[in-house]
Amino acid sequence: MQSANVLLKRIVRSSVLPFAAQHGIKKDLFPLSRTLSLSLCLKQDNSCNPSEKLDLDAWKKVMRSGLQEEVSETVSESKELSALAAAREILEMWRLAGRAVPENISEEQLKTFMECPSKSAKKKYLKYLHLKELYKKNDKRKVEEKRERRLETKEQASETHETKKTSFVCLWASAMDRAYNWRVAQSMVFGQPLVFDMSYEKDMSFREVANTVRQLVLSESCNRRSVDPFHIHFCNFKDDSLYHKEFIKHYKEAWSKLLITVTDQCYTEVFPKEKLIYLTADSPRVMKTFDHDKIYIVGSMVDKSIKTGVSLARAKRLGLETAALPLEKYLLWNTGAKNLTLDQMMHILLTLKDTGDWKKALEFVPKRKYCGFVNKPVHELKKTLNLINTLKLGKRQEEVLKQFAKNYSKKLTQK
Amino acid sequence: VQPPEKPLQAEEWNKLRESFRSPEIFEEVMFNNMVRCNSPIDVAKSLLTHVAKSNGDVTYNLLVKYLALCVQQGQTSEIRDVYDIMKIRFKILESGAYNLLIKGLSNSDQWRMALTLLEEVKKIMIPSRTNYESCIKAASRHQEMNLAFELYHEMLAKDLVPTLDVLQAFFDFCRGMKGAELQKELFGILLYLRDNQIYPHKTFMRSIKLWFESIPGENWRTRLTNIKDSGLCPVCNHQLEDSDLTEAEYNNLRERIIKDVIHGTDTFRKTSPQEFEAFQKFVENRLPFDIVIDGLNVSHLKSRKMQCENLFDAVNCLAKENARLLVLGRKHMLANSSHWKREIMKEMQNKADFFFAENISEDDAFLLYATLQSGKHCKFVTRDFLRDHKACLSDSKTRHLFRKWQRGHQIALIYCVKSKKVFLSVFIQQPALRYDCVVQTTGDTWHIPYKDTFDEKYSYQVPRKWLCIQQK
Repeated sequence: MQSANVLLKRIVRSSVLPFAAQHGIKKDLFPLSRTLSLSLCLKQDNSCNPSEKLDLDAWKKVMRSGLQEEVSETVSESKELSALAAAREILEMWRLAGRAVPENISEEQLKTFMECPSKSAKKKYLKYLHLKELYKKNDKRKVEEKRERRLETKEQASETHETKKTSFVCLWASAMDRAYNWRVAQSMVFGQPLVFDMSYEKDMSFREVANTVRQLVLSESCNRRSVDPFHIHFCNFKDDSLYHKEFIKHYKEAWSKLLITVTDQCYTEVFPKEKLIYLTADSPRVMKTFDHDKIYIVGSMVDKSIKTGVSLARAKRLGLETAALPLEKYLLWNTGAKNLTLDQMMHILLTLKDTGDWKKALEFVPKRKYCGFVNKPVHELKKTLNLINTLKLGKRQEEVLKQFAKNYSKKLTQK
Repeated sequence: VQPPEKPLQAEEWNKLRESFRSPEIFEEVMFNNMVRCNSPIDVAKSLLTHVAKSNGDVTYNLLVKYLALCVQQGQTSEIRDVYDIMKIRFKILESGAYNLLIKGLSNSDQWRMALTLLEEVKKIMIPSRTNYESCIKAASRHQEMNLAFELYHEMLAKDLVPTLDVLQAFFDFCRGMKGAELQKELFGILLYLRDNQIYPHKTFMRSIKLWFESIPGENWRTRLTNIKDSGLCPVCNHQLEDSDLTEAEYNNLRERIIKDVIHGTDTFRKTSPQEFEAFQKFVENRLPFDIVIDGLNVSHLKSRKMQCENLFDAVNCLAKENARLLVLGRKHMLANSSHWKREIMKEMQNKADFFFAENISEDDAFLLYATLQSGKHCKFVTRDFLRDHKACLSDSKTRHLFRKWQRGHQIALIYCVKSKKVFLSVFIQQPALRYDCVVQTTGDTWHIPYKDTFDEKYSYQVPRKWLCIQQK
């Protein structure tokens, strides 16, 4: 009886299931007692015994057939594979195996791929290219969808034949640009300087430099759009450095028209030393207020492998004052490093300059990095904590302990 | 989805596929599940046949997955068939397929084929260490020890780190074999363990033990034992190597510490040139010290206590027998605060030399410098594992030297309460090891430290259990 049951179950699984699933019946709920439908299937199953008819190795025949001509070709080709072509072949195979590999890869990228020092570095680089490709593809698709939608609305609009009347010529973008530029030009004469220290190139990898420049571009644009912009200085900036090349890539011919000061001089040569403050997360000093007479320096560095003390060392060497943002004081820090991106720094400094409100400024710290704002300054919290502790333990006990400690040290010295 | 238990017809596969949530990846998911459930190979074949007939082709991806199933079940002829098909279809294969092929074939009677595949892999990339592992194991399983050792040396030449499994396999398969050449090779493996400060685990140790016992006509006697703190082996009364570095090693380490740890990429990161120079002068005028103390580290031993008292106790505890002490600290310790009382600090300065670094300087770097400068007898006191400083050293050989030196010269202090009545607490010293904890030999004896459990991960813990081997 039992064996019959097992057999039944097997049949149910192998042949009825798909049928059942198609009709939305869940596997677990399938009632075994429904003999009617079961017997029906049994009959079907018996009518065609699969193992008799199925040729299990048929796939091999398919795979082997019709490829003989190609084989002779590949043999002759494989002899003259250059290193690049070989790398391309390997990539193709990885792609077929379902790894994160880009579909198209340029010669230059292939060379960087081959120069990667280790297997994991290669894998990482390919994943990066793969994701980049994916994002690009998605963006392209979205753009196309948008265009189609616009065309549709246009057609509808043309049917209605309506024209709008306004007193302005529609030239918003360029008018805004002119207004912004006017403001930035003013800041170049009267504005507070803000220095970006561009001397970190050899501390960074190529990709870190690229990220740095990207962040600087974002910072510059948000400065340009602000009410009261900084006068941005790029100090220690060497022509035909990697920074320079990346900037040209981003700005193209607008690079020479940017309303910022770019110099290969050090900030100590441009400004009086006592006015400079180097902002670094490693600084032991915490910034209390934003000083409008000081010149703040931000290190243009992205360090993916947290290099502690690099910018602090630079400030120490030149004997400059340093400061860190009071993140601990205002935020309940959660995870992540205390170093922020350059554009976040820019947002924070601009807000401080305009309002002097730390809470408002620190809104620009990424939300994932902190749990929330501290309502009171931390030292006040600590005071109340201490108060609670002393109340709990009782003040006397603490005194006894202190007394004992003193006596003990006396005893030891007498020895 | 549960894979079916027996081969299905094309229509049945179609039905299953349609009922699946996303039919595009149905085959992949199905194959993954087959590998997971270890389904019969015929079921997989029937799916492949279905795919081949409907698409006219089977993708590489699916072939690899099918291969994984074959390898899992040791279906040698199928593995070969898949390899043949792959060779026809594709110019080269990628590492995933090669890994599977080598693994599958090395476990079968066609293991020589795995060797030819290894040669093929070499043409396009560096084989992984598991590739070598499979081949070496296969060769030694068939008593081709020369071949196995050849592969082993090739692997080392490519900077691959052999798995402990491979090393163990050598000892397992050489058991009872005779030959001077062979013995030399196995001793070579033991010396490899020594050079890289690797400790075998218990089962590996047992293999080594059995091999020694099995060498015909050599009369090796083996015992498990614990080594005393003095470094004396209780079984054979042999004194283990001491933990001192040689003169050349010592000088090398000292130079590298100054170059990599203190200066690094920028002297300003850890100190400043002026400060370091001042420290150098300070140390030179007072050399040599017997014990160098990391003041701030010691002062945090017991958090309930005032920090300067912690330090005071430690200094008192160590200041016996006219030992010359140096305490390193930071300038903030001098400011009269709730934790650092001026009187106590003054008193301490009578008993020991003090050097106060800037508050933003790294005092650990000074600690290392002062200890190394004082000479081999000098010890240092800190609970810090100094991993970050070890990481600054640029090559693994110097890092090993550092570890060895650290084991022999670091004293850790532990606070403990002595009697229950009074809160009297004293420091207990955890002594620096006097003997060196590595595989070592004198020719007719071997001493091999081993890990008791399979994965003891802590790098600072050294095994206390040893295998003592001596020739009668």
